[in-house]
Amino acid sequence: MTASLASAAVYFDGRTAARHEVTIELNDYAVVIFDRAGELIDQWPYPRLKHLPAPAHIFRIGLRKADNLARLEIADPEMAHAIDLACPDIDRTGASARKAQRRAIALSFLAAVSLFAVAIYGVPALADRLAPLVPQGIERRLGSAADSQVRAMLDKGPPERPFECGGAAVEQAGRAAFDKLMGRLQAAAGLRVPLRAAVVRRDEANAIALPGGHIYVFKGLIDRAESVDEVAGVIAHELGHVAHRDGTRAILQGTGLSLIFGMLLGDFVGGGAVVLASEKLLKSSYSRGAESRADAFAVRTIATAGGDPRALGRFLARITGKARTGSIFLDHPATADRVAHIDAIAPPQSAGATLLDAAEWRALKRICAGYR
Amino acid sequence: MTAPEAGTVAGTAGGEARHVRFIGPEKDYWRIMVRGAVLLMVTLGLYRFWLATDIRRFLWANTEIDGESLEYSGTALELLQGFLFAIALILPIYTVFTITVLDLGAFGNALSVSAVLLLAFMSQYGIYLARRYRLTRTVFRGLRFHQTGSAVRYSICAVWWWGWTVLTLGFAYPFTRAALERFKMRNTWYGDLQGSFTGSGWHLFIRGFVMWLLVLVPLLMTAAALLSINWSAVMAALRGGGDVIARVEKANPGFLGQIGFAITTFAVTLAMVALLLPAFHAMVMRWWINGIRFGEIVAVSHLRTRDVYVAYLRFIAYLVAFVIVLLIGVFFGLIFLGAFTQDGSPLSEFLTVAMMVGTYVVFMLGLITLYNATVTLSVWRLTANTIALSDTAPIARVKARGDASSPLGEGIADVLNLGGI
Repeated sequence: MTASLASAAVYFDGRTAARHEVTIELNDYAVVIFDRAGELIDQWPYPRLKHLPAPAHIFRIGLRKADNLARLEIADPEMAHAIDLACPDIDRTGASARKAQRRAIALSFLAAVSLFAVAIYGVPALADRLAPLVPQGIERRLGSAADSQVRAMLDKGPPERPFECGGAAVEQAGRAAFDKLMGRLQAAAGLRVPLRAAVVRRDEANAIALPGGHIYVFKGLIDRAESVDEVAGVIAHELGHVAHRDGTRAILQGTGLSLIFGMLLGDFVGGGAVVLASEKLLKSSYSRGAESRADAFAVRTIATAGGDPRALGRFLARITGKARTGSIFLDHPATADRVAHIDAIAPPQSAGATLLDAAEWRALKRICAGYR
Repeated sequence: MTAPEAGTVAGTAGGEARHVRFIGPEKDYWRIMVRGAVLLMVTLGLYRFWLATDIRRFLWANTEIDGESLEYSGTALELLQGFLFAIALILPIYTVFTITVLDLGAFGNALSVSAVLLLAFMSQYGIYLARRYRLTRTVFRGLRFHQTGSAVRYSICAVWWWGWTVLTLGFAYPFTRAALERFKMRNTWYGDLQGSFTGSGWHLFIRGFVMWLLVLVPLLMTAAALLSINWSAVMAALRGGGDVIARVEKANPGFLGQIGFAITTFAVTLAMVALLLPAFHAMVMRWWINGIRFGEIVAVSHLRTRDVYVAYLRFIAYLVAFVIVLLIGVFFGLIFLGAFTQDGSPLSEFLTVAMMVGTYVVFMLGLITLYNATVTLSVWRLTANTIALSDTAPIARVKARGDASSPLGEGIADVLNLGGI
């Protein structure tokens, strides 16, 4: 028995809210609680004590694994100190609580870092594995949903003018040439997916591929091309996106990113900006990778078909201009880098078969001639 | 507040000094908030479970009712657990929904509209469950609070009432608050002592009506001015070069006057909101406290509007100082960036973005930290210190009832970005 330290305290028994003025004493293994008449109320063993949040001047304890919320409130600092010493789990200075909290902080910091790593490396890797598993049917439906949106966005002509070229009488020959070119490229690429390719009335020098095999070649691209190999290079690049299922992959990547950043991270005031910037940077970086792979695919395809793979690089340099430099925000690599890459991987020029003869090429140039 | 009730309160309040008071040192709260803001930034928000727990522990422990302080017994790990549960629950729903929408075309589009409604219900459901969690983690004199009532019914009720509030441009707000507070307080228990809410929507309506008009009238004038403009003609006139203003004036006579009027009235609306916000805050708080009952215990608030204005003014003063410091920091950051990185290199581009985002985040976190450390804490303290209770003797006779509830609701609210104290 230690020196019989005794002091007044307030006791709540956890059954009613009545306030009991009690006297507590410490023995070797427990806090002993007596009422004012000296009757024993309860004994609280030291190992089961827990320290509870309270205002600074009160030392509040309860019992672990109890079926109620009985509380002892001690105002006497000496008594509080004695209980603190007797009970290894209690520390009033909060040192162990701070230690636990430091661990929590370190862990959540590590969790944030590892989620970032997942976003940078894991999400694209996972999308690469998952994209081939998405059934063609779903991809086609994704494609047609995107298709109607893209058409609504791009088709700014009068309602009576068809968006796709090749329908009018003067355009028929061009359409035939285009179909022949597509056929040769598809065979060279070894693509078995059904394609829906068309030249559309837009003045930009561009082409796009949507999930499910929709390819739109803009009229501006045909206008500015100087040889059939240049057009073929761009189409083969888009075929690369189709073959790699980049549209589906981008959707999967976007979902993964919004999951990580939208649900797990960034849930604090101002976090939205971090989320937006990170998503934009990562998506652009994924996309630059996809563009490089599509370029490589185009080079292989054109070489197989017997055209000049370097025409794609020349054409890109001409339509984008040399001035355009890379940026971490752009979804395409810098043109100079693309050209260098294409030239590096293109096989030495073989005696090329021509993809289209001169008459067919002239017809293709006039594929949109039916409407102004 | 009826006269006899006020009488009993005055009678007992005279004897003892104060029934409710807040004794937390402001310095400690600042430390929690500032440290929390930094850690939120470093952990990209994952620290929020610990921060919320720290804040609640501090506020609860330092709020004394009838000489005894409250105790918050929840833990950060519970919150984290609730969050993970909620993710596990919401993620499949989210996935199934996304796939369905993609798979069903036009029908899917209709479904995605209903998703907004579903989200509204889920939010209110989460809010009610989160309240249950907080109440069952609130211990007072050895007993816990608890909450009964169906969260589904609450969410239906809440979406219905808030829907009306939005549709009536805030006219229904007092009745919404009254109805929802009645629902919540009726289902709130301290042990076996049932709460209730007697505040009436009409009382709040009458007190707030003028404020509502002062904000709404200029706003409606803005809307009227904007609607009277023939926008398609103006847009057509905007295209092309030359004297645009003259063409716009021709397409829509009086355009400049209308736009000027719209801007002025909108500025008046904003000024009104800024000027009236503290008064509104104080008014709603008084009304809410005055409506709360536990058994026969009645609360009366003597919160003074001018004290709340002082709290808001302090917030503005701190905010101005903070913005000045931040601007100086940005200035030196830009100098550093110009001196040590090459223009247009990926590194300098990355650093520029990081600095822009970082500045925004620091500003937003600073704003909310300052608001919490000034307005939230002050209003909490002022509200507590100005509450008078009727006879508190019945508290001693309350018996234990109710069990600790799951933190799932906090998790749902968190996943849907609705966290609160």
